[in-house]
Amino acid sequence: MKITLAINGIEQSVEVAARDNLLTVLRSLGYHSVKFGDEHGLTGADTVLLDGRPVNAGVMLAAQAEGHKIATAEALGMHPDQGWKKTEGLHPLQKAFIETGAIQCGYCTPAQILAAKALLNKNPHPSEAEVRAAISGVLCRCTGYVKPVQAVLRGAAEMRGETMDDGQRMMGEGQRTTDDGRQMTDDSDLWSVDGGQTATRVLPKLVVAPETSPYHTVGQPEPKVDAVKLAQGKPAFAADLEMRGMLYAKVLHSPHAHARIKRIDARAARALPGVAAVLTYKDIPRVPYSTAGQSHPIPGPLDCFSLDDKVRFVGDRVAFVAAETPEIAEKALGLIEVEYEVLPAVLDMREAMKPGAPVIHDEPDYVNFADSDPSRNLAAEIRIDIGDVEKGFAEADHIFEAEYEVPKVQQAHIEPHVVVTYWDEDDRLVIRTSTQVPFHVRRMMAPVLGLPVKRIRVIKPRIGGGFGGKQEVLIEDVAAHLTIATGRPVIYEYTREEEFIAARSRHPMRIRMKTGVKVDGTITANEMYALSDTGANGAHALTVTGNTGHKAMALYVGDGQYRQSPNIRFYADIVYTNHPPSGAYRGYGVPQGFWAVERHMEKIARALNLDPIEFRLKNALRAGELHPFSTAWSEGREPRPETIETNALEECVRQGKAAMGWDQKFGNEAWRAAQTAVGGRQSAVRKGIGVALVMQGTAIPYLDMGGASIKMNDDGSFNLLIGATDLGTGSDTVLAQMAAEVLGVPVEDIIVYSSDTDFTPFDVGAYASSTTYVSGAAVVRAAELVAERIKKRAAKMLDQSDYQTIRLSGRRAIAPDGRAVTLQEIALHSLHMEDQEQIMAVGSYYSPVAPPPFAAQFAEVTVDAETGQVTVDKLVMAVDSGVIVNPITASGQIEGGMTQALGYAVCEEMTFDEQGRARERDFHRYHIFRADEMPELETIFVETFEPSHPFGVKAVAEIPMDGVAPAVANAVRDAVGVDIDDNPVTPEKIWRALRQLERG
Amino acid sequence: MITAYHRPESLEEALRLLARPVPETIPLGGGTSLARVKSDDFEVVDLQALGLGQITVRGNFLEMGAMVRLQTLVESEAISDALRRAIRHEAPLNLRNMATVAGTLVAADGRSPFAAVMLALDAQLTLVGGQPPALSDVAEPALNSAEGSAVSLGELLLLREDLLPGALITHITIPLNVSLAYEYIARTPADLPIVCAAVAGWPSGRTRVVLGGYGASPLLAMDGPTPDGAQIAARDAYSEAGDEIASAGYRSEMAAVLVRRCLER
Repeated sequence: MKITLAINGIEQSVEVAARDNLLTVLRSLGYHSVKFGDEHGLTGADTVLLDGRPVNAGVMLAAQAEGHKIATAEALGMHPDQGWKKTEGLHPLQKAFIETGAIQCGYCTPAQILAAKALLNKNPHPSEAEVRAAISGVLCRCTGYVKPVQAVLRGAAEMRGETMDDGQRMMGEGQRTTDDGRQMTDDSDLWSVDGGQTATRVLPKLVVAPETSPYHTVGQPEPKVDAVKLAQGKPAFAADLEMRGMLYAKVLHSPHAHARIKRIDARAARALPGVAAVLTYKDIPRVPYSTAGQSHPIPGPLDCFSLDDKVRFVGDRVAFVAAETPEIAEKALGLIEVEYEVLPAVLDMREAMKPGAPVIHDEPDYVNFADSDPSRNLAAEIRIDIGDVEKGFAEADHIFEAEYEVPKVQQAHIEPHVVVTYWDEDDRLVIRTSTQVPFHVRRMMAPVLGLPVKRIRVIKPRIGGGFGGKQEVLIEDVAAHLTIATGRPVIYEYTREEEFIAARSRHPMRIRMKTGVKVDGTITANEMYALSDTGANGAHALTVTGNTGHKAMALYVGDGQYRQSPNIRFYADIVYTNHPPSGAYRGYGVPQGFWAVERHMEKIARALNLDPIEFRLKNALRAGELHPFSTAWSEGREPRPETIETNALEECVRQGKAAMGWDQKFGNEAWRAAQTAVGGRQSAVRKGIGVALVMQGTAIPYLDMGGASIKMNDDGSFNLLIGATDLGTGSDTVLAQMAAEVLGVPVEDIIVYSSDTDFTPFDVGAYASSTTYVSGAAVVRAAELVAERIKKRAAKMLDQSDYQTIRLSGRRAIAPDGRAVTLQEIALHSLHMEDQEQIMAVGSYYSPVAPPPFAAQFAEVTVDAETGQVTVDKLVMAVDSGVIVNPITASGQIEGGMTQALGYAVCEEMTFDEQGRARERDFHRYHIFRADEMPELETIFVETFEPSHPFGVKAVAEIPMDGVAPAVANAVRDAVGVDIDDNPVTPEKIWRALRQLERG
Repeated sequence: MITAYHRPESLEEALRLLARPVPETIPLGGGTSLARVKSDDFEVVDLQALGLGQITVRGNFLEMGAMVRLQTLVESEAISDALRRAIRHEAPLNLRNMATVAGTLVAADGRSPFAAVMLALDAQLTLVGGQPPALSDVAEPALNSAEGSAVSLGELLLLREDLLPGALITHITIPLNVSLAYEYIARTPADLPIVCAAVAGWPSGRTRVVLGGYGASPLLAMDGPTPDGAQIAARDAYSEAGDEIASAGYRSEMAAVLVRRCLER
């Protein structure tokens, strides 16, 4: 049918099918700012304005939109400088989103901006609550909504004609002040709009390390280097590529938790017009591999096959289809005849290793790793003893034992997994994929596809969030097999349901703690046993659960003699079940561990009538001490001793307590009960406050390697090519800042490109909190080599005998006597004039250490003791992440991480029925936090200067996941006196615990 | 899969399209529930050109066209704060801008806050077209008349599969002289309710108590001449309302608590 759509003021006649939704049609017309997030409109990534109101294009038929005015982000604004053509530039909202750091992955940004624009068109003076309501239809998994709200308020002010000076636009050095001998940044008066919870603060509080004082670019809130394109909704993501003859892939998923395929007949599907290929296990090579995107050799069993004659979870792969349209592909799936022999399933991790349990991996070509034993459904086993644990228990005055449980949860990145594959003109297979690990994809896919590594090129475009979910080489093989089968480009994009049933998720665990403590609070021995459910495959089985102990059990070493020689035991069994496979998820096993450890510490402190914070700090790991696990375990590789060089945990506690008003609230019964009653009755509502101390790691020592190359251009600008993968974290920006700092140029002179396995140096990718630290050090090395070449040439041009006296600053090379040449002059000299050479260098780095960041995380809650309903009112995180390269991007990481962790605390949970079928398959049932229901979030950075890094950095990305859930549960304990040991902390659990408490 | 799209400009044309035995044809409001339709091939009749988007106050009643968007209702000054709160709880802003009042009620399950409060208000729907229901005591008989017939929301929710094929809801009417309270328990402020209660009180003392959070539709726990016994009725009504989200024991106790709180308001 032919319809006319009025898009951005232009009427377009379009031929559509009745079934076509507006999202599909807009994207086919080139409006790529409108994104797919889910089928129900709940992510809001598909937002357009229809007659001025935000609506979801993905749940509206294109035909419904005829006769209405459609607006997309493409019409808002553009780069102001288009060569000889100047434009009006970006819309004030786009500028505000860039300036405030509201853009992280950028996938939801056009939608948020449109929703905000609709608000401001009607209400130029919105309150913070009104802004939150206006953008509540657009889910963001990266930001925690703090900065988008700030952006809208800022944009509103700008649109009202209010002006800001340059210092206000982007927080700079001028705002740093001195307090108690420390340099502080706290711009609480910088941009006050209405006094709401987020509107008054653009930057986080920052306790600055003195070593950073000479820096010009490192430490500054530079706007993200990719923000301008993301604010415009440019076609920067994997699915935004359109190719002639593109086929659409779909996968037939198993309806059974455990079954053997007795018969599969794809003839009818293949005969359907428009179907280009149907692949079953009979059609492709059988190659065992692991989907875990990790370095060679993979530290886990090889127990995956692209297609197999056995299915091991509901959602497992049965067949692949490629067709001319998604609808034909979907129809073809229904024509594939499959006869299953249903097998008994393991749906409870506690049953997995029992004698007689069904064996999930009975295939003969299973490849073991370490202690994996498929005959017992054992994917991995860990046995770590540090010191003499039994002696420690014997010396204790009290032994505390308890069991804890954590659920399976989903990364829920708004951009689903998506990949495009095609043969290039050289018959090399190009894989354009939304991945955190492009180089691992290339290496790991090669044997699966029967291609040498050199005939595969992996391109990582912008990534719409990953959080570990895209550390999996999850769907690249599907599209690639179909491209090989058909010779045509293939796109495969997960539906939201597939994300829930056929992607990876956080390992659920049952954790048993046993702790010996003396009466004065000294921990004498600490033991954890973790039973971990890896699901149907063992990817990340060893390493995720290893980190559960390696990080969470490392924090409390004991005091006195025990501090010198801690007694720690960490045992784990990671078992196969017929649930969807677990995998990497931000935090990588550590949030599970800290749920148990921090709940346990709280209970011990209260049982012994000790101050919970003093008890923790008394036993916590300190600078100068050996990381207790460093000699015991290193992700399946040889462990080497590592000393903690920096640890500002005590200052984090001090800062966090002040931000929370801890001393006024903790133990204050009047504060706890100070709630107004409804209807004159005594109120059942009580307040509570809780804390959790946490640590993480920074990269994997002696393993994670990042590379960078820097090339000087004619105008003195530089191409920075990195294999590192910015999945919305801002790593491209902070790496550019480091290069700019070394080269003495503004960040805008660093042109960042990441990543393409053909062009950029190797990098392991974005995981293990490694990018700023490892890839950053590689960038610094490359920049230093380039700087040396520049200085040598400048010395020659300036007749300066010692090039080492030259310094680079302000786009110039400056001699000690003040004479200078510009970098442009040096570039022209080197490229065109004398002793011509390309000034260029490659740097790479791997680290012998993994310096842990430390943090104190606080929560304030309100609990309705009559119903058990808990409302989280405030979260504070004071974190020692070393030097903060960019306080805006770093605080965005913290805010977003806290928000994800808040979901882990109170609402996120993947559950399965008795047949192993996922109950949560969309964002109706799997709720993630919206802008209009967020607690107040506050981030405080307490800088230390980590000596192992040239700019003193440690990691920031994962640690916010670790402490929110136990802090919330500890706050609930503070409010109403009950302990919830299995998260999430839900109303019925609290209500039942309260009833139990009443009964005694 | 949708095989044809129609946008009739008259009610008669819409009813004619819907009355065809084949192909299966369903009315299209906002479209927000369309993804849940699992039929193989079907056609849709878009109701947006039928002039059913008006909100009118008639004496003590508010009459809303079936195509009134949820957000339009939120922005109406005629509705109570409790109704506004429930609609906001129903869906985020974008979906409220699309979802229609009738479509939301037709697609509602037990966790729909909007359906719960509308059921408490004893919303009356004007239904045109379709076949008379099998049960004779459900609605007025003149289902095929041009004016349509009044069907209560309670009846519609019970008999959706019988009443709706070939039929159209044109208007929904709620009383304005009724006090309304809405309370819920959820994991987060914007999450779907685990259990919710809506209580409507008429000047006469008539009190309707509706529970939500469970099952295929909200449940009328009590419709009495006074509020007396409301808590007991609520507790009893949800005494077996257990599922994977919450136990029956919890929902039952909470139903009583929430109803009490509604009455205290």
